[in-house]
Amino acid sequence: MMPSDPLTEALARFAVDTPLVLWLLPLALLPFRRSAQRVVAVASLDAGPADPLSRTIGWTLRGAGCLAIVGLVVGVAGPYRRGETVTRTGIGAQVSILVDRSGSMNETFAGRQPSGAEESKAAASRRLLGDFVGSRAHDQFAVTAFSTAPMLVVPMTDRHAAVRAAIQAIDRPGLDYTNVARGLALGLAQFGPQAANVSRALLMVSDGAAVIDPRVQGTLRAEFARVRPNLYWLFLRTKGSPSISDKPAGEDTPQAAPERHLDLFFKSLGVPYRAFEAEGPEAVAAAIRQIEALERDPIPYTEQRPRRDLSWIAFGMALFGLLVLVAGKLAEADFRRGRGAAARPAATAPERIAA
Amino acid sequence: MKAHLAHNLRDGRFQALAGAAFLAALTFVLPALPLTRTGVSVLAVVDITGSMNVRDYTGADGKPVSRLDTARAALRDLVAALPCGSRFALGLFTERRPFLLFTPIEVCADFAPIDGALAALDWRMAWEGDSRISAGLFRSIEMARSLDTDLLFLTDGQEAPPLPSTGGPAFEGKPGAVRGLIVGVGAYALSPIPRYNDRGREIGFYGAGDVQQENRFGPPPADAESREGYNPRNAPFGGAAATGSEHLSSVREPYLKKLAAETGLAYAHLDGPAGLGAPLRAAATPRPLAGRLDLRPFLGGAALALVLCVFLLPTWRALRFPRRPTLKKA
Repeated sequence: MMPSDPLTEALARFAVDTPLVLWLLPLALLPFRRSAQRVVAVASLDAGPADPLSRTIGWTLRGAGCLAIVGLVVGVAGPYRRGETVTRTGIGAQVSILVDRSGSMNETFAGRQPSGAEESKAAASRRLLGDFVGSRAHDQFAVTAFSTAPMLVVPMTDRHAAVRAAIQAIDRPGLDYTNVARGLALGLAQFGPQAANVSRALLMVSDGAAVIDPRVQGTLRAEFARVRPNLYWLFLRTKGSPSISDKPAGEDTPQAAPERHLDLFFKSLGVPYRAFEAEGPEAVAAAIRQIEALERDPIPYTEQRPRRDLSWIAFGMALFGLLVLVAGKLAEADFRRGRGAAARPAATAPERIAA
Repeated sequence: MKAHLAHNLRDGRFQALAGAAFLAALTFVLPALPLTRTGVSVLAVVDITGSMNVRDYTGADGKPVSRLDTARAALRDLVAALPCGSRFALGLFTERRPFLLFTPIEVCADFAPIDGALAALDWRMAWEGDSRISAGLFRSIEMARSLDTDLLFLTDGQEAPPLPSTGGPAFEGKPGAVRGLIVGVGAYALSPIPRYNDRGREIGFYGAGDVQQENRFGPPPADAESREGYNPRNAPFGGAAATGSEHLSSVREPYLKKLAAETGLAYAHLDGPAGLGAPLRAAATPRPLAGRLDLRPFLGGAALALVLCVFLLPTWRALRFPRRPTLKKA
């Protein structure tokens, strides 16, 4: 049979916990050879007339025995219907979060070591991003960290618990440098080859910028043109440090004003781009709310349906068969005891057939 | 009539069938027993320094496989085999400290992201070339303590640069406060270490002159005076260039065992892309997990045994005491 056969597919959804138990199934033929009824010696069966009712009762009892054994064996094996993955459409987006884990993220917005009630930039983004993840059920997230080298933390997934665990880790002590270009490339690579109409967002959270090597710029441009994500830059600005829009007093080179030139580079990419400059936790929260509002598009998501236990059906069948057998045993009459046998012809039938 | 019924009720086969029916009915009403199972909660820290690129494992197809690939395969195998409810966190190690990728995640519901993160582990994530194992291990222990997990530290144990003659830093924590396992990755024989250029392409192997063979920071070793060309002021480490096999790599088992003893962790050698489960379970803190024991298979099994007895017992009896021929149906 071809795997595409609908019958095969339907059957493939059923499975049991302990398939070995199913080897006991041939025992279900036992009731056809042996009877649970009492054996009565009769000289010849031809002594009685052919009796369709007795015959029916006899076959019913054999069928019931078979059903009871099959039901019990299958029930013990633990049958279930496999969980399945259903694709539906919801509202959400694919968000690739690119987090700066350079050492300066562990300072406050005022550029100090956090003390008392003050919150470091990393702690603030951890708290606020953690709220963002999971606020909508059908968003998918990937988390990439970057400092000196980019690190893939969690690939694109809809398991929000895992994404939150990755975000929980971002206020741990960071590493040394900010290497934006490689981080961007890895963040972009997280968008799988999915339908083009899915809303994709690349959210970069950093407190600084770095010069993007002109040799890498071309590659990045090509990648952005291919993936076409909406680009958000959440710039956690330390108080007193230059803003994205500030022109330096001296030479206007990428080295002198990396933030401004990264902004210019992003603007030149030709993808929808917004920069949010946040100088405190409230501003970060406001920026995240805006991003949430902007990224509202249909997104196909998969829903995992849990596996369904089917043992109860098997045990139900077995119970039915057993009750029939029990009834058969209760209705037995004994020729040898003689009395009452003639009064209940139906009850005599089982012995005759089973004998 | 009554006599028939009383006679039938006394019949052993009736009683067995009724018992089986009762057991089958019980499967519908008896709830699953609450049960405590043993799971683990573990932080895995993977060494991704250069020496982990050494290809000294043999894959299923006979081709050499790198230590990092083998360690990654072993971790994926481990996560897949952990009982549901166990928790797994992942960190990287290079230079002198671990870098936490994610805090503990439940291994069944969130298996796909864990597996994806493990698949993405790469030496290119390393932020520096040094490999100070003891410092990294001590900080990993501290990290595991802060996450309230056990530690699984996978490394080949090669310190780069080599430890000074005075030995490495001492462990300042409480030995045994964090339980876990150091996993020695690599073969016991020396193998060359692949070398990569700044674009990440392999360009050969490290030569003897490419790496530090001896740590010449700090005081010279005790035997320095006997060395050729020794001069207390100008050549305290001797006159000759250091020689050694630091450009080659094998699993440094004695060193790792020493570290394990110092920190109260267990040690195991990674023999292939599987087999971490048993040593981890032996070393890890057992974490009680709420489980459920489904009683229905037991009830069903008992009922099945009763039914089979009913059908087989007459045959058995007939075999034991052949009394009279059974009449066959015409």
